[in-house]
Parts: sequence; C-alpha cells; structure tokens
Amino acid sequence: MKIAVIGTGYVGLVTGVCLSDIGHTVICIDVDQEKVKRLQSGDPIIYEPGLEDLMKKNIEKSRLSFSGNHQTGLAGAEVVYIAVGTPQNHDGSANLNYIEAAATDIAKNITQDTVVVTKSTVPVGTNQHIKEVITVNLVHPVKVTVVSNPEFLREGSAIQDTFSGDRIVIGTDDEQAAYIIEEINQPFGIPVYKTDIASAEMIKYASNAFLATKISFINEIANICEKTGANVDAVAAGMGLDNRIGPKFLSAGLGYGGSCFPKDTNALVQLAGNHEHDFKLLKSVIEVNNNQPLHLFQKAKQRLGDFKGKKIAVLGLAFKPNTDDMREAPSTLLIQQLLEEGANVTAFDPIAIENARRILGDGLTYSESIDETLQDAEATFIVTDWEKVKNIDLATLEQRMKYPIVFDGRNCFALEAVKTANIEYYSMGRSDIANREKLAVGGSNK
Amino acid sequence: MNIVIVGTGYVGLVSGSCFADKGHHVYCVDNNQSKIKDLKNGIIPIYEKGLKSLIDRNTANGHLEFTTSLKDAVGEADFIFIAVGTPEMTNGEANLEYVYHVADELSEVLDDTRYRVIVDKSTVPIGTAYEVRKRIARNIPTAAFDVCSVPEFLKEGSAVHDTLHPDRIVIGTDSEKAQKRLVELHRPFSNQLFVTDIRSAEMIKYASNCFLATKISFINEIANLCDAYGADIKEVAAAMGLDKRISPHFLNAGLGYGGSCFPKDIKALINMADQVDYDATLLKAVQQVNTKQKYRVISHLHNVFDHELAGKKIGILGLAFKPNTDDFRESPSLFIIHELVKQAATVVVYDPVVGHKARLPDKVEIMEEVTSVFDHVDAVVLMTEWPEFIHLPYESLKHKMRTPVVIDGRNALDPVELKNNGFIYHGIGVR
Ligand SMILES: NC(=O)c1ccc[n+]([C@@H]2O[C@H](COP(=O)([O-])OP(=O)(O)OC[C@H]3O[C@@H](n4cnc5c(N)ncnc54)[C@H](O)[C@@H]3O)[C@@H](O)[C@H]2O)c1
Ligand SMILES: NC(=O)c1ccc[n+]([C@@H]2O[C@H](COP(=O)([O-])OP(=O)(O)OC[C@H]3O[C@@H](n4cnc5c(N)ncnc54)[C@H](O)[C@@H]3O)[C@@H](O)[C@H]2O)c1
Repeated sequence: MKIAVIGTGYVGLVTGVCLSDIGHTVICIDVDQEKVKRLQSGDPIIYEPGLEDLMKKNIEKSRLSFSGNHQTGLAGAEVVYIAVGTPQNHDGSANLNYIEAAATDIAKNITQDTVVVTKSTVPVGTNQHIKEVITVNLVHPVKVTVVSNPEFLREGSAIQDTFSGDRIVIGTDDEQAAYIIEEINQPFGIPVYKTDIASAEMIKYASNAFLATKISFINEIANICEKTGANVDAVAAGMGLDNRIGPKFLSAGLGYGGSCFPKDTNALVQLAGNHEHDFKLLKSVIEVNNNQPLHLFQKAKQRLGDFKGKKIAVLGLAFKPNTDDMREAPSTLLIQQLLEEGANVTAFDPIAIENARRILGDGLTYSESIDETLQDAEATFIVTDWEKVKNIDLATLEQRMKYPIVFDGRNCFALEAVKTANIEYYSMGRSDIANREKLAVGGSNK
Repeated sequence: MNIVIVGTGYVGLVSGSCFADKGHHVYCVDNNQSKIKDLKNGIIPIYEKGLKSLIDRNTANGHLEFTTSLKDAVGEADFIFIAVGTPEMTNGEANLEYVYHVADELSEVLDDTRYRVIVDKSTVPIGTAYEVRKRIARNIPTAAFDVCSVPEFLKEGSAVHDTLHPDRIVIGTDSEKAQKRLVELHRPFSNQLFVTDIRSAEMIKYASNCFLATKISFINEIANLCDAYGADIKEVAAAMGLDKRISPHFLNAGLGYGGSCFPKDIKALINMADQVDYDATLLKAVQQVNTKQKYRVISHLHNVFDHELAGKKIGILGLAFKPNTDDFRESPSLFIIHELVKQAATVVVYDPVVGHKARLPDKVEIMEEVTSVFDHVDAVVLMTEWPEFIHLPYESLKHKMRTPVVIDGRNALDPVELKNNGFIYHGIGVR
C-alpha cells in the first residue's frame, strides 16, 4: 500500500516508520523544512527507544522517505494519515488550525480516490468537518472517505506500543475504507475494534480522561493516607489485585503531565461545556493534578522555612522517564515556584535539558550528572523516576548533600530502605521518615 | 479451627458458611432473635445464589451452628470475626456503634485461656482496629489476642462465589503470630494473599470501592456526553475496556451505583478526609454525579411527554439495586418511584425478589406478574437488569401499553430491535 503521513511529530513519525517496517511504502510530510532535512539524513529528532534504528533500516530499504512538499508527498498516495498537532486553545478547547490546513493540503493535491485517516486526537465531529473541508477544496473530482483511527501510543514506548498495542480503533461509515485500514494494520496482529466515527473520536478522549482520573484518584487517596497513617503504595498494590481495577496507573506521585493527558482532559471538559454539561468529575481530576506539585512544595517549605539562597537539587525534568518531552511536566511548576522563592536550583535530567531550557530559561543550573546535582544541596526533590534516579545509592545522598533532606515526588524508595539510611525523607502518601535522632540537620526546624 | 462470626448479614452469613464448608467449626452469632430462630429452622433471611444448600449441608453435618449468645460461642474460639453493620450517620460518617458494642461485649465474655485472633470484617474507618483492641482489653488486660483487619470484598448477587474464589484476600496485621494464623486459615480460598499493615488494609477496602464508584460515575458522564454528541456509549466503553490499563469491568453506563456499600463507603471516605482537613474534591464529584444520574430517567420521560407526567401511568421493572440480589438499599429505583409519585404519575412496579419487602409510597402498586407492568401504561422504565426483563416478548407486550415508550435505565435492552418493533426507546448514552 502507498501511504502518506502528514505531520512528523511523535505520532506521525512513529506511525510512518512502523507502517514502512511492516512492508508499506510510506512518505512522511512536514511543513517544517529544517525538520524534513534532518529526518532525510536519518536523524529522528525526538527521542524514542528503537526509533532511530528502525528509521534508518527502512530508509535504506527505500520504503520510507520524507518530503517538505505536499504536492510530491501526496502524489499517488492511496491512504493519507493526518498526524498533525492539536494543541489547546486558551480556553482548553482543541485547536484545529493544523488539522484544517492539512485537510486543505490534501484537497489541493490528491489526484485519485483516497482514504483519509485521522490519527490526531480530535473532538467529536471533527472527522465530519475534515471531510467537508476536503470536499469543498477538492481540485480533482475524486472520492474521499474519512476514517477516525485514534492513536494510543505512549511516549517512551511508542514503537513497542505500535507493534503490540491493546487494540486498534477504526471508526468509519464506509465498509470499504474500514477494510482497507484493517488490511494495512493486519501485520501488527493487534485486535481491531470497528465502530462509527463519533464513537471512535470519543473513545480516545474517554480513554485518556479515564487514565487521568485513575492517576488523580490514587493521588487523592495518597493525600488521605498521608494524614491517616496508611501507606499508599500498599493500598495501591492491594487495590490493583482486584481485576476490575488493575494495577496500572496507580502510582501516587506528582501527577500526570505530557502532551496528551492535560490537553485531552481540558478538551473533554470544553466539549462537555459546549453542550452546557458541567463535567465536574473531570474538573476535579484536573484540580487534584494541578495541586500535586504544590503539595510537595508546601511540605518542603514547611520543613525548610524558606528557600532563599539555598541550593536545591531537582532530579528529573521530563514529564516521565524515557522521554525528552517537557510539555506540561510537573517539574516546570515546581521549579518556577522554587525560583520565585529565591532558591538556587540545579536540575538533573539525562535527555530533557535542551527542551527544559526552552521553557524554564537560564535561571537555574542544568546538569547531566546526579552527583554534581546533589553536591552540597540543602534539599533534593525527586520529580521524574528515571531508572538512574531509582538506583541512587541512598548513602550518596548523605555524602553529597549538605543536609540530606529528600522530597520524593515519585516514591522511588522503599520505606524500609530509607529507615536504614541517614536521610530525612518525605514522600507521597506515606509516613515521613525523619530519622531525626540520627541526624542533626539544619534548616529552620519547625 | 473454631470460628465465631458476629453478625449474620450478607457478609457474616456467607463467610461463616464458607468457612464451615472448608471443615472448620463455625458459630454464627446475631443479637436479632428472630433471625437466629429462622436460621435454625433453615429459613435464610437473604437471597444469595448457592447459599441455602451451603447452609443446609453444613448445619446437617454440625459444622455450622447459630446462636444469639456470644458468651456461649466464644469459649473455644480461635478466630472471632466482627461482621456487623457499619451504616452511615447523617453526616456520612461510618457508624461504629455496632462494632464497638461487639468489642465491649467481647471484653465481658472473653477469658485468657487461649490466644485468639479477632478480625474486623466490617468496613471500618482507618484506625478502628486499634480502638477495638483497646476496648476489648479493657476488662481482660491479660488475655492474649490480636485485632486484625481482613476487609470483605464480596458482591451481593455472587457472594458465595466471590468468597470461594476471590481476586485477593487482604490481611492487615501488626502481629506475626496472627498473620501466620490468618494466612493458614485463608490459604485454601486463594493464592493471592496480600499482607499489609492494619491501616493500609482498612484503606484498601474504601479505596477499592471508591475507585469502582469513580469508574461508574466516569462512564455515566461519558454516556451523557455521548447523548449530546451522537456517539454510542456501548461502543465507547467496549473499546476503552480493551485497554488493559482500564479493564472492561464497571464500564456499564446507567443510573449510577446503589446498594449498601458504594454510597456509604464514598460518604465515609469523604468524611474521613474532612476529619483530617483534606477536601476530597474528586470523591465529592463522583458522589454528585451519582446523585444526579438517576434523574436521567425522569428527563427522558419529560422529553417524551412534554414535561408533564401528572396523570401518566408508568410501569417500573425492578426494585433491587442490581440483579440477583434482594438488596434495595439506596436503589435508584426507589428514588425514581418517589420522584414519579411526587410529579403525580401513577406507578406500578414488579421485581422478582424484592416484591413487598420494599417500603414504597402507598399509591404504588406492586404487581405479581411482570407482564402486568405493561397494562395500560404510558411508559415502561427498566431500572434493574434482571435477566427475565431482557427476554420479555416486548413486541406483543406493546399492545397492552397506552403508548409504546421504553426507557432503559441500564442499557440492557436491544435498541435496534425495540425501535424496529415500533417502540420509542431511550437508553443512557446509546443511540
Ligand atoms: N504524543 C503522544 O504521545 C500522542 C499520543 C496519542 C495521540 N497524540 C495526538 O496525535 C497528534 C500529534 O501529536 P504529536 O505529539 O505527534 O504532535 P507534534 O506537535 O509532536 O507534531 C506535529 C507535527 O505536525 C507538523 N505539521 C503541522 N501542520 C502541518 C501540515 N499542514 N502539514 C504537514 N505537517 C504539519 C508539525 O510541523 C509537527 O512536526 C495530536 O493530536 C496528539 O494529541 C499524541
Ligand atoms: N453487603 C455487602 O455487599 C458487603 C460487602 C463488603 C463489605 N460489607 C461490610 O460488611 C459489614 C456487614 O455488612 P452486611 O451487609 O452483612 O450487614 P447487615 O446489615 O446485612 O448485617 C449485619 C448483622 O449484624 C447483626 N448485629 C448487629 N449488632 C450485633 C451485635 N452486637 N451482635 C450480634 N449481631 C449483631 C445485625 O442483626 C445484622 O444481622 C458492613 O461493614 C459492610 O459495609 C458488606
């Protein structure tokens, strides 16, 4: 099958690369010419485990190519995937400018009957709109069918998710189009769920919103545990054994971030609002999530009194491990707060520094070394549970830091282990471990 | 082992008979005289699949006995389970009066002749086990015992099956000795024994129920959006459920949760949070959604009948809060019936097991036959998805109705078939 993919971000690039790997001829199109040049040279730009190798392999086999030009890119394509961004507007609704531009590009350049597949996350009704935009702008009299095929990959395991996802959702009213898309995906061997367009669009938002709800739920439980003496990790493990609940997405911490959950939950609230439906439940999910980083910050402030002139170490910047994505990362809010209160922040991250600098600027020190980050710090915040962070020898904290006071936003360490170390330790939804008798630590002890 | 179970409600009676069936000697104790008299005569006060034969078998072989005297029962007991009710008080707080009463009684009747494991099976707020221990120790400071938490996860309607094949058993204890005994006792029921501290065990129960309630409120909100946007909640839920991180259970949109557990456990956890100055926003939203959701039925009726229900005759299918149980505590059906009566509609109702047990407004007529619910009514509303309601001959029943309107509060019926048969059909988020 000859396929064109419009947009080469996380979703478009990974989709294009994987579709070429199962034997299709794929051309990926982007308006960003700089990006296209780098991609053509075999540089994937974004970080995803396994992506670079797979990309190079398929470029070599001439199944994968890149173009900055819609006319050449779309020529001869039987199926066109739309994978451009759908960022949020100020009011939280999804911005469809890129989608509309892509639809217009398609209309102007296709020369044969085409199936247009929307991978981007779009509000219910958008595929219908895409079809209209294309129809109105068509140059050649060809037949266009639209299919909603929402993407469920996760950054950090995007390749693996594409090859072994739980399900592929195909939403369309056109049986022939559904058949074509099912055939394209057949080599992945993943269960296909066929449905109507509106339901497919809703499935994507509902799934993400539910997972966000699961995260905020366990965070709310963590906050109650903290105050009643239960241990949220034990609670989550005990809950997760219930098959109706399942163990995934039950890690208490600083909440969700990234390019999807925050924007998709906001968009769904907005979508409800359009019909005068007040989606209180989801609003409260968002509220709990926004509060989590501040909750840890407040705990630290109470302990330290103030941050003025103190060196504060931050371990992890990316919104989750194995990605360099900084969009809506909890580290942002936390660090901004620390800087505002006069702290000297040094932040460690193995790959997200470049992206972080664009958001947080130069008001802090960035480091790719954990040891350097910890050196002489008066407190440490753990923000991203990178493997490297989880594997820190607790003795290092004691040795390197000026005062070994740790605020762990990701519950990286077992309390038993911490009890034997000489550190003061505050985590999410678990008892504080002061080890005060062992420690004579500074800070304005309250 | 000798086991005493205090309280013979859903939880006590089912776990008592299941322990007996594993060969232990079990005394079920209840202070409700008539209940014990009935049980001794083989009359089971609640309806649960498989329970009667279990009880008959184990009373016949002497493994299971009933008594009103806690004192007589506990003499030889190795384990004492507290399974009395913990209803909600008006502020939502769990009422521990019955639990503490049992603790106080135990303090009077226990002696120090042997070591005993005392287990909270009732759903109780975090820290309750410590208070129970204090109370028991009051009169018997030298007695050897531990108080542990083994929360109950059975579901009404499949209580026996759930007890014999649980996903997991949670054991909360701070005593190694008690842990060893409890593990031994529960091993035959499950390989998945989760041992933790007492407070976390107590929280696991609330957190689990509240999460499932959250799942229900979530999918109901999505269903309401599906109504607004022309998507189909059954499609959406089915595809969501394929995601292993979500799981397909508890994704049936409808009129919200009811029964004796979810509503009270959510309120209790909100109250617990309030007491430690934490505003449980998310849980409060879950509860609000649930409170509102039942009225979807009323708004569907309003849409069909142009906002005027006075004088309309409405047939209600189902009183129980879910199928296969006779429990109608906090059942949405009751709310709807009261609301319809308030709006001056005439209401007739049928439920295969609840029947006359429910206290309904005077004017509501309880039918003996399910088909009578269709006689001259303007609409039929399905409130409990009993299997027998799903397979009714709707096409022929239609002719008994004044107008062929079906409101399906549980999305249990086939919309296509009903519409093809000339019904006006409304579900919750289905097309
Ligand atoms: N990132 C994820 O984890 C993820 C997961 C599932 C779904 N999604 C959804 O997929 C969509 C894409 O997300 P992303 O993270 O890949 O976005 P992204 O912002 O990383 O990439 C979008 C790309 O599209 C290009 N583009 C914009 N307009 C174009 C046009 N008219 N023609 C050609 N190229 C154009 C941009 O230059 C950019 O490279 C979004 O709707 C998102 O919600 C993302
Ligand atoms: N019903 C369920 O589905 C379920 C599931 C899990 C947990 N739970 C929890 O288990 C507990 C019991 O629930 P239930 O539904 O079985 O309650 P229930 O109200 O059906 O039964 C409680 C029984 O305890 C008896 N009782 C009260 N005080 C007593 C005393 N001092 N001595 C002896 N007997 C006494 C009552 O007479 C009654 O028969 C509650 O905390 C509940 O939250 C219930």
